[in-house]
Amino acid sequence: MSLQNEEMDVVLKIKRYSPEKGYWWQEYKLKVDRFTQFTEALRRIKSEQDPTLAYRASCHMAVCGSCGMKINGEPRLACKTLVMDMAKKYGSNVITIEPMDYFKPVKDLIVDLDEFYQRMYKVKPRLYPHKDVLEGIVEQRLKPEDQRELWKFAQCIWCGLCVSACPVVVIDQQFLGPAAHAKGYRFLADPRDTITEERMKILIDSSWRCTYCYQCFNVCPRDIEPVTAIKKTRAYTRLAKEKTSVTQTGEKHIEAIFNSLLESGKLEEAKVYLSTYGLLGSIKDFIYLFQSGKVKYALVKEKPVENISEIRKILTGDNK
Amino acid sequence: MEKVSYDVVIVGAGLAGLMAAHEVASAGYNVAVISKVFPTRSHSAAAEGGIAAYIQGNSDPNDNPDYMTYDTVKGGDYLVDQDAAELLAYKSGEIVMLLERWGALFNRQPDGRVAVRYFGGQTYPRTRFVGDKTGMALLHTVYERTSGLGSVDFYFEWFAWELVEDDNRIRGIIAFDMRNMVPVFFKAKAVVIASGGMGMLYRHTTNSYINTGDGYAMALRAGAALKDPEFVQFHPTALYPSDILISEAARGEGAVLRNVKGERFMARYAPKKLDLAPRDIVSRAILTEVKEGRGFPGGYVGLDLTHLGEDYIKERLALAYEAAKSFAGIDATKEMIPVRPAQHYYMGGVDVDITGRNPDLIGLFAAGEAACVSVHGANRLGSNSLLETLVFGRETGRTVVEFLKSYTEPSSDIDKEAEKMIDSAYDVVKSESGVHFGEILEKLRDTMWDYVGVFRDENGLKTALSEIMKLREDMKKMYVLDKSKVYNTEFYNALELKNMLDLALVIATSALNRKESRGAHYRLDFPERDDQNWLKHTIAYLRGNSVEITYKPVKMTKWKPEVRVY
Repeated sequence: MSLQNEEMDVVLKIKRYSPEKGYWWQEYKLKVDRFTQFTEALRRIKSEQDPTLAYRASCHMAVCGSCGMKINGEPRLACKTLVMDMAKKYGSNVITIEPMDYFKPVKDLIVDLDEFYQRMYKVKPRLYPHKDVLEGIVEQRLKPEDQRELWKFAQCIWCGLCVSACPVVVIDQQFLGPAAHAKGYRFLADPRDTITEERMKILIDSSWRCTYCYQCFNVCPRDIEPVTAIKKTRAYTRLAKEKTSVTQTGEKHIEAIFNSLLESGKLEEAKVYLSTYGLLGSIKDFIYLFQSGKVKYALVKEKPVENISEIRKILTGDNK
Repeated sequence: MEKVSYDVVIVGAGLAGLMAAHEVASAGYNVAVISKVFPTRSHSAAAEGGIAAYIQGNSDPNDNPDYMTYDTVKGGDYLVDQDAAELLAYKSGEIVMLLERWGALFNRQPDGRVAVRYFGGQTYPRTRFVGDKTGMALLHTVYERTSGLGSVDFYFEWFAWELVEDDNRIRGIIAFDMRNMVPVFFKAKAVVIASGGMGMLYRHTTNSYINTGDGYAMALRAGAALKDPEFVQFHPTALYPSDILISEAARGEGAVLRNVKGERFMARYAPKKLDLAPRDIVSRAILTEVKEGRGFPGGYVGLDLTHLGEDYIKERLALAYEAAKSFAGIDATKEMIPVRPAQHYYMGGVDVDITGRNPDLIGLFAAGEAACVSVHGANRLGSNSLLETLVFGRETGRTVVEFLKSYTEPSSDIDKEAEKMIDSAYDVVKSESGVHFGEILEKLRDTMWDYVGVFRDENGLKTALSEIMKLREDMKKMYVLDKSKVYNTEFYNALELKNMLDLALVIATSALNRKESRGAHYRLDFPERDDQNWLKHTIAYLRGNSVEITYKPVKMTKWKPEVRVY
């Protein structure tokens, strides 16, 4: 147990906001030690220097999800981040704190999360067990390995950081967002749940709207990997009875990638594009390529990689 | 003044409040839940180790609810109302299985049934758990369930300020919408206080920043009593120096406390139960080691998990591992975790019987940490608080439903009274200049820690009382710098401080009054338990600047007091 303490003078530059004055930056100087969390730094500013500063914080141990904000541009929980760690990481004792992106500002570091909560409610975030279970007539059991799998995705603390970092929620209203997908998958995959059909209807189309940019994976303070939940939700597509055009395009895209790899061991993007969107769907883009003189890249004929038979064995599961 | 009407208003959206709301709403009544935070941010989320339950057919074959009651009674140093402890034990299995049916992801045995682990003070292991984030898992389950009912209105990020009462009868509550400062009179036939604890009164606490004792103060000002307000629990293993809780589950899973010499010092204080002795005993043991020079520099001891193995630690004690890593830079698989005691739980609370009903005010109910039923007596056993929130949240909800069935509308008008209470909020911060809340708050937290903490004596408590009186005077000069109408957190912090000062006065006075040592209330000048004079509940009323104390007998059923050794 080697607790090395040290102290440091830092400047916290906080981006403030009020409906009357708009945005402004304000600087606070304070001394921190090796163990000072940003929530504690903010609490000290508020009680010792400037009581007008507004922010949210509650548990200071990363389970309540109140204190999401941007620290030196990184979406983080303030409680789970030590001031000195950020100063060292960026080699500067001047650190910026801003409200989370995407959400409407209310005051200083407080943003309006109503829209975020609406996203969470859309996935029906609760178990719908069998009637007999609910009435206590039969007991339900859960395998330890199922518990572990579900618990990973159930640990979402509704902090909103992943949604604030997601580029798709900004442009696609139909995309439920990473947190809602993690929550949705947690119930979709629960063997005790009875509304699987309805959940697939809610989740599958949306799951194909994710671009796999991994921002949610990077910022989640609970290491939930919402993007993994989205991938796992896509695997349910083959069980879905009705498929939207987004879902169908997604399936075609996967099939095209598979075929491209099977054929050449390479990802032939032009071919994949053509198979996914069809000749008619691609025509506009090809005209654009033609006009910009890039069509030659699209027409490159790839030679199969050397050990293509090995790749085919892996892809088809044929190990004979 | 804006007005809304509900059958029931519940203050607090943690486990107790949500469970009560679920019960009342399911019976067809309309319910408003008022909370300073979005429900899943409630302090219930911070509970770690687990929830105690005797489950028929899924417990140690030698165990039974009577043993569970006995452990609770003994753990609480015989100040426990035994009928309440019996109810808690007998309903424990049922409530855990209800949560299981609602989808709570309890850790499992290989056969798929709910798993179990040991906790301090238990004769047989009976703690059910979800890793070491049990509170968070249960809170999300109950919130998701309750919000799915559709018949409960959640007023989150609203600040409940005063109970409106008329002729000893609850008529509603005044609350502010924090977003725009608009005060609203919530007219209600019944109010349930389920607003949790008060850790922020202490310099060192494992509690959330929101735990400022609002519910206790609100009840006190309306004329209701607190029961056993002197009993404040300190958790022995808070991470040094951030005071983040390192769950008792760590010791339940086999972790050992060591002093600077590497000795397993609990052998001196609780030779049989060792590190799994109840919290009051372990807290005093740690501070005694430190005081006698066997702690680490800075004043802490080590919690040794290293022999448990990396995989086991990371699965069953994930949060402890993560907290040590993130907040102290310690790898718990290789090194000891630095720990010391910090305020953790409040055994005292709004005086209620086992149905959740307060005897002073008609229509006032309380549940969870805000209430004193009393199932914890002088010291709460680990895993009993989550259990209490759910069992008594539900019991209280059921009592409220019964109360509403025979409710008759009073004729008097109380709108004027409500107007006055809104003005009283602005009175707290009336000055144009003077002091702001932070100056008073920091002094209060130090005073409570230094003189109303783990060890107490007459001189210290008198010092605390005179300091608290001075701070109450200073508060009259309190002002608010932030004049904005939008999310003015300074204004609410000032109101919270008023609540904290009301409560602090009651705690310190009651602690000075009780001249014995029992459970978490340890008097250096009266180190022995004194059943002859003090086997009784303190009942404390706030009368302006003074505290009026009366007593209530402890309810005994089967267990006679015996010497408490572990």
